[in-house]
Amino acid sequence: MNHSAPIIHRALGREREKFLPGVVVSFTTLVHPPARFGHRPRTIGLIELTNGRRVLGPLLAENPSIGESVRPRMRLSHITHEGLRVYEVAFEACTKKDVPLPEFPGYILALTGPSGVGKSTVSRMLTRVCSEYTANVPILTTREAKSGDDGEYVYTTPEKFERMKKAGSIVAATRIPSSSENRQYGYQSTDIESIWREGKLPVVVTEIHLLKDLAEHYGRSSILSFGLLPPGDTKRAKLSQLLHRLRSRGRESEESIRDRLKNAERDLAIFRERKDLFDHIVVNEDLHSMVASLKEKVLGLFPALKA
Amino acid sequence: MNQDIFLVGSGLTRFGEWWDKSLKDLMDEAIKAALRSSGLSALEIDLVIVANMLAEVTNNQAGLGALASALLPHHPPAMRVEAACGSGALALHTACAFLESGRAKTVLVVGAEKMTDVSMDVISQALMGAADAELDAPSGLTFPGIFGLVAKRYMHEFGLTREELSIVSAVHHRNAAENPFAQFRTELSPEAVSESPLISDPLRLFDCSPVSDGAAACILSTSHKSPLRIVASQIASDTLSIAERPTIVSFPATREAMNRALLEADVERRDVRVVETHDCFSIAAVINMEDLGFAREGEGIKLYEDLYEGRASLFVNMGGGLKACGHPVAATGLKQLIDVGKHLSRASLPYGLAHNFGGAGATCGIHIVQNANV
Repeated sequence: MNHSAPIIHRALGREREKFLPGVVVSFTTLVHPPARFGHRPRTIGLIELTNGRRVLGPLLAENPSIGESVRPRMRLSHITHEGLRVYEVAFEACTKKDVPLPEFPGYILALTGPSGVGKSTVSRMLTRVCSEYTANVPILTTREAKSGDDGEYVYTTPEKFERMKKAGSIVAATRIPSSSENRQYGYQSTDIESIWREGKLPVVVTEIHLLKDLAEHYGRSSILSFGLLPPGDTKRAKLSQLLHRLRSRGRESEESIRDRLKNAERDLAIFRERKDLFDHIVVNEDLHSMVASLKEKVLGLFPALKA
Repeated sequence: MNQDIFLVGSGLTRFGEWWDKSLKDLMDEAIKAALRSSGLSALEIDLVIVANMLAEVTNNQAGLGALASALLPHHPPAMRVEAACGSGALALHTACAFLESGRAKTVLVVGAEKMTDVSMDVISQALMGAADAELDAPSGLTFPGIFGLVAKRYMHEFGLTREELSIVSAVHHRNAAENPFAQFRTELSPEAVSESPLISDPLRLFDCSPVSDGAAACILSTSHKSPLRIVASQIASDTLSIAERPTIVSFPATREAMNRALLEADVERRDVRVVETHDCFSIAAVINMEDLGFAREGEGIKLYEDLYEGRASLFVNMGGGLKACGHPVAATGLKQLIDVGKHLSRASLPYGLAHNFGGAGATCGIHIVQNANV
C-alpha cells in the first residue's frame, strides 16, 4: 500500500536483521502476487535462521524443499512511484559446498571495531593473561610488513591470496579500501582449527566482512562476538578519539590515517545496522578493565570448552 | 456466564456480490430482519455493537457505530469493534460483557462488510491487514499465501494429500445447497476442487473462501428470553505473524478458547454436536477440527471424510461454511452463531458452538449455545 520513505527506511533495518543463513520451514508459490511485485509467480519461504528466529522472504530456489538449507542475498525488490529503491533479503539454495557445518565446531572469540579502537592491543593482552586458554589467529595479508607490526601478520602475495581463496583454505577475507594500495586480509581454516585441536579458544580481530564470513562458515552461534567502541557520547567525539590514538601510534602517514578514519565512520554504523552479528558491544575506555572483563567471559566459557 | 444471555433475534442478508447495496443498506437489511424475528420494538435496544474490518478501505467509511445507531429511531449508544475476520465473535463477546455487567439489557450486534466495491488487488492487500504489516506483508505474502505455507507444512508433517484436502470444500458446498443466504448454492465435486486454478501452491481457487458483501445481526438480551442461551463466550489471542510462532500446523488460540469455553459452559466436548468453524481456507477447517478436539492431531481430514460419506455424528458448517456461504469478513462470526441456533432448533440438539478467528488464528472467539427445548 502506501510505502513512504520512513516506512521503507524502517523496513530496510528489519531486512538487514534477516541476513543470516537458515532452513526452509515451509514455502508457497503465489500465482498472482500483489501488483507491486510484478506479474510473475512469486515463491515465498518461511525460513528458520541460524539464530533461531523465523522470517518470511522470497525463495529463489528452483525446486525448493522443506528442510533445505538456504543463504541470504540482498536484492532490489521494487522501485516505488516516487523512485525510492526498496531492497529485500531473498533466500537462495545453498550449493553443497555452502551447507553449514552440521555440528557446532567450537567457539571463536571475535573482536570487531574501527581502526584505532584497540582491537589488536586487547587481543594481545588477552592472550597474554589467558595464554592457557586462548591463542591469536594469525592474519594473512597481502600488505607489506611495517616496522610496528608485532607478529600478528603472515604476509603473502595478492596472487597467492586469490589462489587460497579459490581453494577454500581462506574462510574469511576482506579488502580494506585505501587510496594508496590494495590490501587484502583473511583467516585460514587450518590456523583456527589447529587452535581448537590444542583445546584453546581462537581469538580473531575482524571487521564486518571477516566477521560475516566467519559466522557464515562456522555458524553464527560459534562466534563469541564483541564490538569495540571508542569512548565518547557523539560520533564526532568517538572519531576524534580514534584520530588521537592512530596519531599517537606513530605508525602511519597522515594520508593513511585519513583513509582509516573514513572507514571507521562506516564501521561505527555497522554496530547499529548489524546488531545480529554482535553478542556484546563494549566501550574501550580503560584497557585493563576491558581485558579483565573479557578474561572473565573466556574463563566462564571454559568448562564448556573442555567438556 | 454471570447472567443468562438469550439470543432473541437474528437477521441475515444473503451473502454475495451486491452492486445495488451499500454497507449501510446491508446493515439496515440485517437489523430489520433481526428486529422482525425478535418481535421486539427497536426502542428496546440499549446498545449497538458493530463488527467491521475494512470499511475505511472498501467504503471510505469510519464512524460505523453512529452509522448503525442512526438506523434505529432512538439512536442508542453504539460502538465498533475489530479483530479482522474474527470481528464478529469479538462483537458478541463485547455484547456479553455489557450484558453481564448490567450496563445493558438488550444489545443489537451487527456485523457487515462490503468488499466487492474495490479491485481484487486492493481487497487482497487490505485483508493482509490481518497479518503483521512489518513482518509478513513486505515479503509479498497474501492470505492465500499464508495458508499455502500452512498447508504445505501440514502436508509435509502429516502426509495429507491434495485429493484428500479437496473433500473439505465439497462438504461445505453440499451443505450450502439448502441455505437461501449462501453465496454459492451449487454442489462441487472433490475433483473440481483439485482441478481448479492454482492460487498459492498447494491451495487452489476452490480451497479459498470468496470475497463477499453481506451483513448479519443478532439481538442478545438478559431481559427477554428465548430457547437459545449463550452459555460460553471466550476470546483468545496469538501473535499476529505466523513467523513468530513455533508451529504453523495448529492454532493455539483455538485450543485455549475452546478449553475455556467448555469450562465456562460446563459441558463435555462430546455433548457439542453442532459446529460452525472458520474455514477461510480448506486447510484451516482440517486444523480447526484438531484444535477444537474433535479429531486427533493429523487426523482432521478423517472427520471430513466421515462428513462426506455421511458417517459423522457431528454437524459441521451446515450453512456451507465460509467457503460456500461466503465470507464478508466481520459478518461471518455473527452468521455462524445464527446458523448454530438454526441447526440446534431444526435437529433438536442441546449444544452447538461457533468458532471464528481473525488472521491466521491470531484472535479466536468461541461461543457455545444451549437449546433449552431439548
